[in-house]
Amino acid sequence: MSDHDKIRELLPLAAAEVLDQQEERLLAEHLRTCSVCAAQLEEWRLLAGGLRRLPTPQPRGVVVERARAMAQIRLTEHLEHQWNRGVMTGLIAFAWILTLLSWPVFRFISGGFLSMLDPQFSHTWLVFCVFTTLVWAGGGAAAILLSMQQRRERSLA
Amino acid sequence: MMLGAAIFGGSHNNSATAIWEAGVGLETEIAQLRRGDLDALSTLLTRYQNRLYRYLLRMVRQPAEAEDLFQQTWLRVAEKIHNYDQNRNFDAWLFTLARNLAIDHLRRLRPESLDEPVGDHAGGESAAARLVSRETPALDRVLARERTSRLADAMETLPVIQREVLTLRFEEELKLEEIAEILGAPLSTVKTRLRRALDRLRGNLESQFPGENWQ
Repeated sequence: MSDHDKIRELLPLAAAEVLDQQEERLLAEHLRTCSVCAAQLEEWRLLAGGLRRLPTPQPRGVVVERARAMAQIRLTEHLEHQWNRGVMTGLIAFAWILTLLSWPVFRFISGGFLSMLDPQFSHTWLVFCVFTTLVWAGGGAAAILLSMQQRRERSLA
Repeated sequence: MMLGAAIFGGSHNNSATAIWEAGVGLETEIAQLRRGDLDALSTLLTRYQNRLYRYLLRMVRQPAEAEDLFQQTWLRVAEKIHNYDQNRNFDAWLFTLARNLAIDHLRRLRPESLDEPVGDHAGGESAAARLVSRETPALDRVLARERTSRLADAMETLPVIQREVLTLRFEEELKLEEIAEILGAPLSTVKTRLRRALDRLRGNLESQFPGENWQ
């Protein structure tokens, strides 16, 4: 490919104003001596100008309003969902803390601090924790399944 | 001379201030939208409605489809705005959402390659008629409108990926880097695509209307 051909490839890009500095310099140097390319560049610029001046089609007002209303509803739903998730997470954390602390606190109040060092106490507490974990995991799984079912129904509707 | 310089200097400062204020306004609206402000969503929609619709119309060519995608894009904005990285260019983010929806839509309609040239419309009015019909009639603009119509029609015959790069550069006036971000392609690919699109557009116009001036 000759230098002239390379420069000709730059002409549409020059009209689109996307040349880098080196390409601009090359083009400028070439245009000083080549009137054919200069004329070609002018034609490309006319085409680019025509593209820039194409009229802007506008969406119908009713479409814009519907899009606005739908997007606002979706945003509100999303925020509600986020809020619900936050509240649920907080409640679960609170319930866990309460559950795990209640047994030692109860024993501490009823039997004093030394009762907590009893090996039998650790064993009981461990069993209690495993049992609570299973109950919570079961409840959580049920909640997730229910929410997935609800979401599926909502998307079908 | 001094008066001219003063006027131009003043106007330059004013326009720079206006651009800066517009940028700050946009950032504020986005921040408000991320906090769940419905008014901010409404303002952003108003700000971008014409540009977004024009881009979608250039992509899919049919107004009904463009309107549907326009609504879907704003739903997607409401869903995804919390994941939007504020360091990123909002225009590029918004047009990327719209592009993904439009490409999915086109793939469902036309499973063949998106860089194939398209034929005539299946139905409905031409691009020229759609564009021109919304312009104010004026006798002294008839010739210009005729050229515009031909240009719009010629643009519609290009493959989707070429139409898209032309509209992003010349109508949306996005920078090359922003276009690359939207297309998910390197700068060199965008440049090549832009050059080929212009080459093909010019070829189409010259073969149909030899000697025409496209200004």
